[in-house]
Amino acid sequence: MATSTLSITSARKERMERFVRKFRNNTKAMIGLTIVVLLVLVAIFAPVIAPYEIDTTSVEDRSEAPSVAHPFGTDDLGRDIFSRVVMGSRISLYVGFGAISAALLVGTVIGVVSGYYGGMVDELLMRLMDAAMSFPPILLALTLMVVLGPDLNNVILALAFVYTPYIARVGRSATLSETNEAYVESAIARGESSGRIIFSEVLPNTTAPLLVQGSLNIAFAMLAEASLSFLGLGAQPPTPSWGLMIDTGRGFMQSAPWMIIFPGLAIAITVIGFNMLGDGLRDILDPKVDAIE
Amino acid sequence: MYNYLVRRLGFMLLTLLFVTVITFAVTNILPGDVALLILGPNATDQSIQALQAQLGLDKPLYVQYIDWVLGLLQGDMGTSLRFDEPVAQLIGEKLGRSLLLATAATAIAVFFALPLGVVAAVKQNELPDLFASMFGFIGISIPIFLWGLVFILVFAVWLGLFPTGGYVPPSEDPIGTLTHLVLPASAMGFALTAYIMRMTRSSMLEVLSEEYIKLARAKGMTQRVVVLKHALQNAIIPVITVVAFQFSYAFGGVVVLEEVFFWPGIGRLTLTAIQSRDIPLLQGCIIVVALIYMLSNLTADLLYGYFDPRIRYGGDD
Repeated sequence: MATSTLSITSARKERMERFVRKFRNNTKAMIGLTIVVLLVLVAIFAPVIAPYEIDTTSVEDRSEAPSVAHPFGTDDLGRDIFSRVVMGSRISLYVGFGAISAALLVGTVIGVVSGYYGGMVDELLMRLMDAAMSFPPILLALTLMVVLGPDLNNVILALAFVYTPYIARVGRSATLSETNEAYVESAIARGESSGRIIFSEVLPNTTAPLLVQGSLNIAFAMLAEASLSFLGLGAQPPTPSWGLMIDTGRGFMQSAPWMIIFPGLAIAITVIGFNMLGDGLRDILDPKVDAIE
Repeated sequence: MYNYLVRRLGFMLLTLLFVTVITFAVTNILPGDVALLILGPNATDQSIQALQAQLGLDKPLYVQYIDWVLGLLQGDMGTSLRFDEPVAQLIGEKLGRSLLLATAATAIAVFFALPLGVVAAVKQNELPDLFASMFGFIGISIPIFLWGLVFILVFAVWLGLFPTGGYVPPSEDPIGTLTHLVLPASAMGFALTAYIMRMTRSSMLEVLSEEYIKLARAKGMTQRVVVLKHALQNAIIPVITVVAFQFSYAFGGVVVLEEVFFWPGIGRLTLTAIQSRDIPLLQGCIIVVALIYMLSNLTADLLYGYFDPRIRYGGDD
């Protein structure tokens, strides 16, 4: 017993080392990770980095072009855009991580149950997921926001609902390929309970595809939050949500284009970071992609 | 294949049933009494009850749902509360414009994505490939509304080449329709280019490594003939299915895009329905958009199966 545990641990350790090596050699994943880490640091230290209070309005400083005092300029109410963009990173990350963590939690349970038990349970759950995926994501999120009411936590709830089926699908197919493996069959033969098999045998091996799907979906969720806030159905003023800032800036496009340019760049860089990380992870973890490229 | 098709259509009907349930359930949780919304705050209790009876709102929810679905099957989506016109007619007027926008966006994307993808594959890991892959990441990472605003800022506000937004019916001024179409379609097309380009690239890479390409090269055919005639012809197949998926993506995105460009299609109609709490109109818009979205995804799936003989459907045919 002791030796078998030992060999499993060392096999896992070896796999981990291989993963880290491949990750280091993957430029895309490294750039993505760097951007994401920087972003998280900015979000954590946002109050320290931001030179001004984000709600301080000033009539004489209205719509000022970028300068040394205000590197990103000021908005129509004289608020410092740099400070608001910096604080906005918290909102984007909060929604992205919040929505996708919830979707991962629910989606993994649905996917694993569906894939493990099969039959009618599988059929029913998957048709429900299909139905949820039959709505364009942004339309479904929009409709849910109308019902829930415009509020940042409701954005998380709505986006968690929208992205759960995508996670569930990945979780299901990962479970299906695992349940055919010899170690699961032998666990069943040993008479282990379904719950134990799912938690100790199946789940750990579905992590890789779920990780990839999760990081790509964080990017989508961040884009969706920006879109919802832009349409007035997400974060409400004076929240420094990047999408909301762009919506406000729309009216001043000609006189103060920096009002949309800087929050726009912030969204772009953030989402590029998560997309590159997700894409890099997929290259590393998916042997099929390896073969093609 | 035939069995698979029947099975898929059966699934689709079942899914569609769920879609109607979700749409109905969600829109009925909407806060606000419809009769009160129509009649205004000064309405008497009697007039509210009379209108509720007239609209069928006094019936149990499941009866309302069945009435609504039966109506849908006959093409009757009810009457818009805000416009006091049949919902089907309102949607009919706007749907074509949204389809035009999504189609134009997809066409623009294909136009740019194919050459970019081919060049990226041929010059794999060289400068053009890196450039194309950077471009791809930027394309998918910037929200549609931002592309739209950037395009308006550069091409309409600064350069004055195109109108900033709006729509002109082709019956009045076909050239005007086109000039109004260019910016929104390009903004959406830009985002789609990335996906199609990436698919073209990886598909080309796969084909270029095949034996018959090596043979063609060995026979002394020029690079141009090998790439364009032999490789692209086979590499295009998976790309076609991605194009169909991208069309549905484009159509799904019209809600946001139309708002940016004041394009009066089904997307803006949906937003109007939301703002005025026009439940029958909102239900109609959601169902129609979801149906088209589903159909184009189904088409993509079927094309994929048709073109790729390696995929066996259902296992029993």
